[in-house]
Amino acid sequence: MAAMAIAIVIGVSLGILTHQRPVFANGATTVTAAFLTIPSIALVGILIPILHLGLKNVLFCLVVYALLPITRNTIVGLRSVDSAIVDAGRGMGMSNRRLLWQVKIPMAWPVILAGIRVSTQMIIGIAAIGAYVNGPGLGNEIFTGLARFGSVNALNQVLIGTIGIIVVAIIFDLVYVAIGRFTTSRGIRAHS
Amino acid sequence: MLTPDNTATGSGTGKNGHGATIVLDDVVKQYPGQQAPAVDHLSMEIPAGEIVVLVGPSGCGKTTSMKMINRLIEPTSGRILIDGVDAMTLQPDEHRRHIGYVIQQIGLFPHMTIAENVGLVARMEKWDKSRIRNRVDELLDLVGLAPSEYRSRYPRQLSGGQQQRVGVARALAVDPPVMLMDEPFGATDPITREHLQNEFLRLQRELRKTIVFVTHDFDEALKMGDRIAVLRERSSIVQYDTPEAILANPADEYVESFIGRGGQLKRLALLPISEYPLHDVPSGNGALPTVDVEASLRDALDEMLAAGKQTAVVLENDKPRGSLTLDDVMAAINSHEPSTAKDPSRAGL
Repeated sequence: MAAMAIAIVIGVSLGILTHQRPVFANGATTVTAAFLTIPSIALVGILIPILHLGLKNVLFCLVVYALLPITRNTIVGLRSVDSAIVDAGRGMGMSNRRLLWQVKIPMAWPVILAGIRVSTQMIIGIAAIGAYVNGPGLGNEIFTGLARFGSVNALNQVLIGTIGIIVVAIIFDLVYVAIGRFTTSRGIRAHS
Repeated sequence: MLTPDNTATGSGTGKNGHGATIVLDDVVKQYPGQQAPAVDHLSMEIPAGEIVVLVGPSGCGKTTSMKMINRLIEPTSGRILIDGVDAMTLQPDEHRRHIGYVIQQIGLFPHMTIAENVGLVARMEKWDKSRIRNRVDELLDLVGLAPSEYRSRYPRQLSGGQQQRVGVARALAVDPPVMLMDEPFGATDPITREHLQNEFLRLQRELRKTIVFVTHDFDEALKMGDRIAVLRERSSIVQYDTPEAILANPADEYVESFIGRGGQLKRLALLPISEYPLHDVPSGNGALPTVDVEASLRDALDEMLAAGKQTAVVLENDKPRGSLTLDDVMAAINSHEPSTAKDPSRAGL
């Protein structure tokens, strides 16, 4: 989950910094999308010489994979704020920074949060691969189970790992729904 | 009113803010990469406390001209003076907080309550909370929305007309001397629109703000404007005068085309019955049409035509006060013509 925190910070900042300049925004989206096309098992493998086995390697991979949905949703969310609202805000004497924090981000928040939610789901699945490079997590159960497939309880071990991951994913999803309810203004919530 | 130390003056009733004179002096806006300037050497003076309507076809530069006053668009050259202070010397955000800004799309912040929307500028000006709360309630009252009912609602829970009332209240928050209004009632249906126009005119009678009002609707310009500037491409002023004078004496065919048909009837609509001497009420007036003294000569004429009579009884508080004849209406139209001959020097400044 440290991976999510890092990815959120990087992804949202990247989105904020680039959303007003189409060239940079497209660049950010393309680069983060390119990361996503690398097969996860290949990426952790490639990184072994640089980051070695273990947590650091896994963390780096997860951050890289989580970036696209967060960055893209931040850009899309901020851009979709009605230009008339931005015009009104500027006309009332709001500085760019105030406009960003008090208007654009709160209005884009549901979209940004949706990106974070997708990222989380995605990397919970990918995190299992981390076991391959000696990372921690439920992936270990799956790989150990697969390695001794055919022996007693091997299938059970794989299932425990898989179901465990699904449960974790569902719990996180529910947490995000709750966060969304508490942090989104009633004025822009879909159903209030 | 534009100096920072004056920002605290708006706390009171909303009636203490008088307008400021705006002078545009040889203002040019040239966008890079475009041959012709969007605004070409525009000079005009907007008197304090008046509504000046900029009217012209879309793309004539009227909105650009308006937005240069609060520097949402920076002029390429020229000066903009507000009560003698050069707007270019002020910090832009600070400057804008003291100019009310109302736009057609309204632009309320959907994630903020009505109270938060209206109190936003006061919050930026660091007013204390109780003062903001009082001011918000006062403003909501002013625009006819019961504070207890609307304060904590969100914009989407309001109708378009109500939203624009909030938009006007928000623009008035710190009692700015100047308001810029860009087709503020353009997005509402005709009935709501007329309501909002009338309400706003009533408000303005108390507030006496200096208002720059942009529209492409000449009838709205006639109704709202103390003065109208008819613009054509590159924001060049074809005629700048009172509505009556423009109707009585259009500067050229372009202005005539803007006035459209029924120019004389439109003039009559601007002439209030109360400004004309009345005859005694003829005896046996039972069959005569009646018209209120607050109405216009056009209303009187309409009543006469509807009833097929040449005389109408003028009522004040539903009691006959006098009478008006068709000849009076004719005389009114003719007498106005020479007296309001336009002053071309005004347009050129």
